[in-house]
Parts: sequence; C-alpha cells; structure tokens
Amino acid sequence: MAKRPPITNRVKELRAASGDMSQAALAEAIGVTRQTVIAIEQGRYSPSLESAFRISRVFGVGLEDVFGWEGEETGSAASS
Amino acid sequence: MSFREKSAWAMIAILALAGLYYYQKIIAISLAAGDVAPPIIPLVIVYVVFIIIASIVVMPILAASSGKEANAPADEREQLILAKAGNWSGYALGFAAVAGLFNYSWTHDGNLLFHIVFAGLMLSQIAEYGFQIWFYRRGV
Repeated sequence: MAKRPPITNRVKELRAASGDMSQAALAEAIGVTRQTVIAIEQGRYSPSLESAFRISRVFGVGLEDVFGWEGEETGSAASS
Repeated sequence: MSFREKSAWAMIAILALAGLYYYQKIIAISLAAGDVAPPIIPLVIVYVVFIIIASIVVMPILAASSGKEANAPADEREQLILAKAGNWSGYALGFAAVAGLFNYSWTHDGNLLFHIVFAGLMLSQIAEYGFQIWFYRRGV
C-alpha cells in the first residue's frame, strides 16, 4: 500500500470558508483534475510546490495556513 | 470513477481477453503437436489487431460518458501515477525475461523462451494498468 504522506492540509475547510467553493472549481483554478483535489483533501497525495502555492493563492492565505506537518498545527490554527 | 481509471479497467479486460485467446490457441496447438508450439506470427498479429480495434471501439464510448475530463491532459498526480505504474510493470517484464532465460539455459527450448517472454510482455501490460488503478485508489 502507498505510504500516506505526513503532510496535513486544510483545503476542505478553506473551500467551505470560501463560500462553499466546489472541488471542481478549485481544481480548475489550480490546473489539476477534481480527483486530484479529492486525493489532496483525503491526504492521499501531496501536491507539488507549485500547486501548493496556487492553492494558497486561491484562498488568499499563506502556504503554512493551508499545509502543515503531521503532528504540528497549521499556521492559523497555531496562532489562534 | 475517473475516466482514466475506467480506461485502465477497460484495457485490463481487453488485454486479458486477447491474452486468453492467444494462449488458448498456443496451448491447443502444443497439445495437438505433442511439443511446445513455435512462435506463430499471424496469431501475434491477430492479438495486436484485436487490442487496437477493441481500444478504438471502447475508448470513445468511455470518453463520451466522461465529458470534458476525457480530453484533459494528465495533471501532475496522474503523470506521477503513469510513470510509477510504468516503472513497476517494467519489473514484471524483467522478471519474465530472466525467468525465460533461465528456462532456456536449462531446457534449450527457444519456442518456450518466446512464449515466456511474450506472456511476460502481456502480463506486464496488464500489471501496468493494474498498478495505475492501485495508485489512483490508494494514493501515490
């Protein structure tokens, strides 16, 4: 079985906070398929650095506000 | 299920059917002759043509049911999956080739060597699509 990457993310949460943005809309905005967005949200795939930056720009937040290391809190969660 | 995953399932079915047809013929000929059948190139051509025609028939049907997803180029995750599945299936082909060579060094049967390597090629193609499905579902 493929090893689950130790990177966590708040993509689903940020989508909900951005007016319930759909997975398809996010996928189109960052140039990947909807299946890839699903895989990222489920933690089955760690996006490239380029896609990670694209995601954070879509939501208007920093990279560390979207992605974190397993066992550590993400940026905004840590500061709140 | 994504278009690419559906395509992979379809290719597994097509390759398995073609492989079963090919080896069912080879085994029947071998049993009738009482020895391993020699390579039968027309049968290899039938195998290849069947795969091409079946793909031409099946893929547009899958594409029509998948909308614009079917025309989209592979994204970064899909490219990684295709590369990794291709790499892993290469091991299956390599294993068959080495097994065939060992068998040849033992039996000196060139016909059997041909069939083992050709079976390895068939199985590695099936394995490639199988690995793609695995990575699509379990992550890459």
